[in-house]
Amino acid sequence: MSDVAKKSRIQFLPTGSSLHKLSALLTLGLLIFVFSFTSPAFFSVNNGLTILLQTSVIGLLAIGMTMVIITGGIDLSVGSVLALAGVVAGLLIKAGLPVFPAMVLGTFAGALCGFVNGLVVTKMRITPFVTTLGMMLVARGIALQLTGAAPISRLGEAFGTLGNGSFFRIVEMQANGFPKVVFPGIPYPAVLLLVMAVLGAFLLKKRQIGRHIFSVGSNEEAARLSGVNVDRTKIWAYTASGALAGLAGMVLMSRLVTVQPNEGVMYELDAIAASVIGGASLMGGVGSISGSMIGAFIIGVLRNGLNMAGTSAFIQMIIIGVVVIGAVYIDQIRNRN
Amino acid sequence: MLNTSTSDAPLVKMVDIHKQFGGVHAVEDVSIDLYPGEVVGVLGHNGAGKSCLMRILSGAMTPTSGDIYVNGDPAQLNSPQDARNYGIETIYQTLALANHLDAPANLFMGRELKTRFGNLDEPRMLDEATKALRQLNPNFKNLRDPVVRLSGGQRQVIAIARAIYFQAKVLIMDEPTAALGPSETAMVSDLIVKLKSEGIGIFLISHDMHDVFELCDRVMVMNKGKNVGAFDINDVNKDDILSLIIKGTLPDGWRPRGDNQ
Repeated sequence: MSDVAKKSRIQFLPTGSSLHKLSALLTLGLLIFVFSFTSPAFFSVNNGLTILLQTSVIGLLAIGMTMVIITGGIDLSVGSVLALAGVVAGLLIKAGLPVFPAMVLGTFAGALCGFVNGLVVTKMRITPFVTTLGMMLVARGIALQLTGAAPISRLGEAFGTLGNGSFFRIVEMQANGFPKVVFPGIPYPAVLLLVMAVLGAFLLKKRQIGRHIFSVGSNEEAARLSGVNVDRTKIWAYTASGALAGLAGMVLMSRLVTVQPNEGVMYELDAIAASVIGGASLMGGVGSISGSMIGAFIIGVLRNGLNMAGTSAFIQMIIIGVVVIGAVYIDQIRNRN
Repeated sequence: MLNTSTSDAPLVKMVDIHKQFGGVHAVEDVSIDLYPGEVVGVLGHNGAGKSCLMRILSGAMTPTSGDIYVNGDPAQLNSPQDARNYGIETIYQTLALANHLDAPANLFMGRELKTRFGNLDEPRMLDEATKALRQLNPNFKNLRDPVVRLSGGQRQVIAIARAIYFQAKVLIMDEPTAALGPSETAMVSDLIVKLKSEGIGIFLISHDMHDVFELCDRVMVMNKGKNVGAFDINDVNKDDILSLIIKGTLPDGWRPRGDNQ
């Protein structure tokens, strides 16, 4: 008994999805292994860092998405909110605001969209699917209307720092006068993703709000009867998702050094796929940030590996679609046992 | 009628409670009170309004009209949290457990223990939960399993422990033994007797006449949302109560039976 208790104390919470997480991790390893053979350039430091950079946007979206999915909801608006947040930041910079406060306000605009989602879901009692579908159109419409559907460019070099900068970048001058990149550095977006993922996992596992998110998703009525403020918990989750979508927008637009109001279409589906592959249940009550990060990287590695192997974008869609269905199927088998 | 009462104010007094859903009167002008160390049975067939009345007292539902007094003072019970703050705890028939969470998480749901830094205090919650659950069932194991994997009896024990751990003064038990086997039912009966001796007042909703006559001091029968009779348990027998539940009236020629005993 005592060693059983000790063993179960290590895995921290009630998700019971450690098995699923392990299989997802094995899948990730398998993918990396296979792609190493299909393309010689795949298994290299440079490409690894590229994958980190490419996955950070989906990863950021997946953190917020996971929280919303655990409450039993869904957020279809993150792709559009990402674009709107970018547009807000871009317009503010054009209006003369420095880059950093503009980005903060852009992220805040994302949070505001999420907050409205939360209000509509809880106070107007409209299902999350319909609410966030509406927000998806509204946010995209505002982003296109504000910009006339044209990209905002010439935002200055500082705007590109977040998306293109990196830590520990080592460049040395060669004898012939050309610089040689010894180590391309760890991209800022990857570090930001790590910080946000750790923060998200901490909130979910160690704080009351996280416990309430699980309670609400597991049994909303029970949570309400136990004195959990269900509405506040849901609003919190949607706001977090919106804020992270805004932050992801900053990263993406900064990487392009241009604000594209039609960026991020269908990103919500990648984020949902990442969460579900990582073991989150669309019925609510189950999920984890670590799992969703593995899910995000499975999608990132799949995209990158297939690209490097020369697979067309259309085939990639088919493969990722099949992977999502497979992941949900495995989840169902797990639940049946 | 209130021969078990003391001179103290009742723990809870509900006066002229009325609850209306559209044109349906779920509860009509029902009054009821509860004194320390007393078990009051709330009886009636399904849809008679007894669960509705108890939900009003547990703060899960607000009455259309009527007053509630706790320890003699008027109380507003607008949420389950309000009721809990007054020491009114409820064991719901559905148990109201979050299936994906473990026993400690369920026990402390909505009232999580925290460390100095505001983080969840998992070790202390596990510790306290272990103590609280073992008190009711010494064989309680698998505390860290999601409660969906536990047996009906274990789930019931968690629901009961959740109510009594926080020093309830008033306990509402909605069919606490409906899902239980014989030995677990006996455990719940013993527990009710023990809680009663500690001065806790209990509203017991039950369909089991054996339980009602063994445990209750008083009974109130509801029929179609109305209070059709409130009696000292010694003044009625099983047939009287069944007649009240089904017809809403006492058998013809009924006299208080307490005198005969």
